[in-house]
Amino acid sequence: MCARKASANVVAKAVEPALPAEEAAARAYAHDRDLTSHHFSLDEHPIVRIEHLNKTFDGHTQVLRDVNLDVWPGEVVVVLGPSGSGKSTMLRCINLLETPTAGHILLKDKELTGLSASELSKLRQDIGMVFQGFNLFPHLTAKENVMIGQTKVLKKSKEEAEAEAIKQLTDVGLADRADFKPAQLSGGQQQRVAIARAVAMHPDVMLFDEPTSALDPELVRGVLDVMRDLAENSGMTMIVVTHEMGFAREVADRVVFMEGGVVVEQGKPDDVFDHPQNERTAAFLGNIE
Amino acid sequence: MARLLAAFAVALACVAGMGVAFAAPTEAFALSTNKATARPNEDGGDGVIGGIETRLTWEGTVGGDEEVSSVTLELADGGNFDGSTTRVTVLDGLTRIDIDSEVSTDGNLLKVKFADPIPANSLLRIVVEGMTFPAAGGEQVVSGSYETSGGESHALDDSNAIDTISNTPLQQAVAWLDANPAVQAWNSNRFLGMFLKPQLILTSLSSLFPGWVLCLGIVCAAYPFAILLGLAFSLMKLSRHKIVRAIAITYINLLRGTPLFLQIYIAFFGLPMVGINISNNLLGICVMAINSSAYLAEIFRAGIQSIPQGQYEAAASIGMSRMQTMFSIILPQTVRRVIPTVTSDFITSYKDTSLLSSVGVMELMMFAKNATSVSGNITPYVTAAIFYLIITLPLIKVVGIIERRIERSERGAGPRPVAGQDAGSATDELEAAGASHAEAIERTGLGAGTLEPAFAEEGGVADVR
Ligand SMILES: Nc1ncnc2c1ncn2[C@@H]1O[C@H](COP(=O)(O)OP(=O)(O)O)[C@@H](O)[C@H]1O
Ligand SMILES: [Mg+2]
Repeated sequence: MCARKASANVVAKAVEPALPAEEAAARAYAHDRDLTSHHFSLDEHPIVRIEHLNKTFDGHTQVLRDVNLDVWPGEVVVVLGPSGSGKSTMLRCINLLETPTAGHILLKDKELTGLSASELSKLRQDIGMVFQGFNLFPHLTAKENVMIGQTKVLKKSKEEAEAEAIKQLTDVGLADRADFKPAQLSGGQQQRVAIARAVAMHPDVMLFDEPTSALDPELVRGVLDVMRDLAENSGMTMIVVTHEMGFAREVADRVVFMEGGVVVEQGKPDDVFDHPQNERTAAFLGNIE
Repeated sequence: MARLLAAFAVALACVAGMGVAFAAPTEAFALSTNKATARPNEDGGDGVIGGIETRLTWEGTVGGDEEVSSVTLELADGGNFDGSTTRVTVLDGLTRIDIDSEVSTDGNLLKVKFADPIPANSLLRIVVEGMTFPAAGGEQVVSGSYETSGGESHALDDSNAIDTISNTPLQQAVAWLDANPAVQAWNSNRFLGMFLKPQLILTSLSSLFPGWVLCLGIVCAAYPFAILLGLAFSLMKLSRHKIVRAIAITYINLLRGTPLFLQIYIAFFGLPMVGINISNNLLGICVMAINSSAYLAEIFRAGIQSIPQGQYEAAASIGMSRMQTMFSIILPQTVRRVIPTVTSDFITSYKDTSLLSSVGVMELMMFAKNATSVSGNITPYVTAAIFYLIITLPLIKVVGIIERRIERSERGAGPRPVAGQDAGSATDELEAAGASHAEAIERTGLGAGTLEPAFAEEGGVADVR
C-alpha cells in the first residue's frame, strides 16, 4: 500500500534465542529487585522484555547496542539520557515502529520481533504510544481522535466508542473540548487528547517519547499531571522518555540512564539522582540540574 | 424531389407544345413553376428566418401555346408581401423581353399584371425584396394562380419547399439590433465589429450552447473515472511491489510525457483501424479520463506523501492496519490538501476538451469554428471564450478561497507541533505537481514537450525526521 519504513515483517537476526518465559522471569526478578521501587513478586512475569536489542541504521550507524530491559506490570520506568543516545529508537523498537536489527521484544512473553505486518498491527493496540509531536489526526475532532481506534480496531459500536471517548477526555480534563479540532487546541490540550486516545485502547503498557518537549513551559504541568494520575491511580505500566527531572524523581519507580546506545546505569530514582554510580550519569545529571 | 418533378413538368409541357395538332390544349402546363428560393437572413448562419425580411425568387416557364397575362403568388397565412419591392424579368431564351408590369400586394398575395401577355416558352422570374415568411417557420411552398391571355384562370403548381426557421425572441432581438443606430455605429468600428459584434454574440450564445453542454458533459463524465483511475495508480506507485510500481510509473510517464493532442489522434484514428468503433463522444470521454488520470495520480501521490510520517505511526500505534490507516487517516487528509490542485486540473481538462474538435466531436470549439466560417467574423470565438470563462473564472476563485482556508487551518491556530514541519516542504512539492501539469497541458497543443517528473523520489517525504 505504501512504501514507508514501518514494514516490520523482517525477522530480526537473533543473537541468541529469547529466553523461556520462566527463566527470563526468574532472571529479571533477581536483576531488578533492588533497581526499582515498584513491588513485584516472584510469580509475576515482566510485561515487556527487551533482550539483546541492537539497532543499526543504514547498515553502519549503530544506535542501540545490546540493550536489555524488563518492565514489570504497573511499573513506571523513566529513561534519561543526552540527545542522540538512542532513547527514541529504543521506544520505537518496542512497538516495532522501528525494526530491530537484532534481539527480541516480548510483550507478555509473546515475541513481537519477526511477526507479519497484520499480526503486528493486532498486537500494537496493546502498546500505547504518545509522541513528542502529538500526531493527532487533524481532520478529526478530539472525540473522534479517541473514537477511531475503538471503532476501527476494537470494532466497538459508535455509541460505546463515544461513551469511552467522553470518559477518557473527562479524565484528561478536556470533556468540554470534545468537538474541537486539533488545530483549535493548545499544544498541551493536544497532548492530553493524544494520551486519552492511547489510554482508550486499554493497553498493557504506555510509551511516552518526550511528551512535553514540544510544549510551552506553562503547558507542561497539565500533561505531567495527567501522566502522574495515570501512573498513580490507574496503575498503568509506563516507559517514559523525558527531561523532566522532577517528574522522574517523584513518579518513576526506576530511572534508566542511556548514552551512546547502551544502558549505562539504572536504579531507584533517589539512588540514581543522589548517588550516580557512573561518571557519565553524574555528568549528565550535573549538567541538567 | 420537387425540383425533379418541376423539370419533368417542363419536359411534359414541351412535349405537349410540340404535339399541339393532336392534343387538346393542356392548360395545367401553361405556366409551370420551376423553383422558388429565399436568401438567408440569419445573422451568422445560413437559415431563412420567418417574420424577418428576406428576398424571394420565384421562377416559372410559360407553356408552348399560351400567353400569360398575370401571375399571383401566394404564401401560407402569415407570410407578407406588403411593403416589398418586386423585380420582374421575362426571358425568351437568352434575350430579355421588356414588358411593363404592375405589381399589387395584399398580405400573403402578390399579383403581377403584365401590360402585354408574356409570350409562350418564355421564362418568368419574379424577385421580391423585403417580403417575409410566416414567423412560425417550417417548410414554405409558394402557390398561386395565373391568367392566360384568353382570360382563363388556373392554379399554379406548388413550388419546392423552402426551409424556414421560426422567428424566436432571439431573432427578433437581432433584428432590433440590426436596426439600432448605436449598434450600427459600434459595428462600423473595424475592431469592435470583427471581435464583438453584438448580433453575433447573441446568436452565438444560442448556437454554441449545445457545444458548451457537450464540453461540460464530457469533462463531467470523464472526471469521476479520472479520479478513481488516478487514485488507483497513485496507490500503485506507492506500492511495495516493484512490478506494480513499474506499471504505474510507465502508465503515468507515458501519458504525462506525450501531448493530449497526440493521444486523441491515436485513439480516434487508431481504434477504428483495428475495428473498434466507439461513438465520438464516448471515446472523447475515455481519452479525457485516461489523460487526466495520469496527472491526478501524481497529484494524489504527492498529496499522500505530504502527510507526515507521524500520522502513519500514530495510526499504527493504536493498532490500525495499513488499509485502515490509508482509508481512514491518510486519504481523508489527502483529499483536503489536493482539492485546490485537483480543481486546477479540472479547469485544465475542461479547457482541453477543445482539442476534441480536431477529430469531429461537436463541442464548443467546433461550433465556434463553424459559426466563424459562416459569418466571416471572429465574434463566435470570443463568445466561445465567454462560455469557457463562465466555468473557469468561478472555479479559479474557488481554488483561491480553498487555498487560503487550508493555509489558515494548517498554520493558524495553536503552536505548531514539531512533526508538523514535515507538511511545509511536502505542500510545496504538491504545488509543484500542479504546476508541472499546467505546464504540460500548455504544451499539448503545440507538440511534444518532454516532461521531467518534478518530484522527489519516493520516501523523500517519509524520510524527513
Ligand atoms: N531513521 C533514522 N535513520 C538514520 N539514523 C537515525 C534514524 N533515527 C535515528 N537515527 C539516529 O540514531 C541516533 C539516536 O537517535 P534517537 O533514538 O532519536 O535519540 P534520542 O531519542 O535519544 O535523542 C541519532 O544519532 C540519530 O541521528
Ligand atoms: Mg528522542
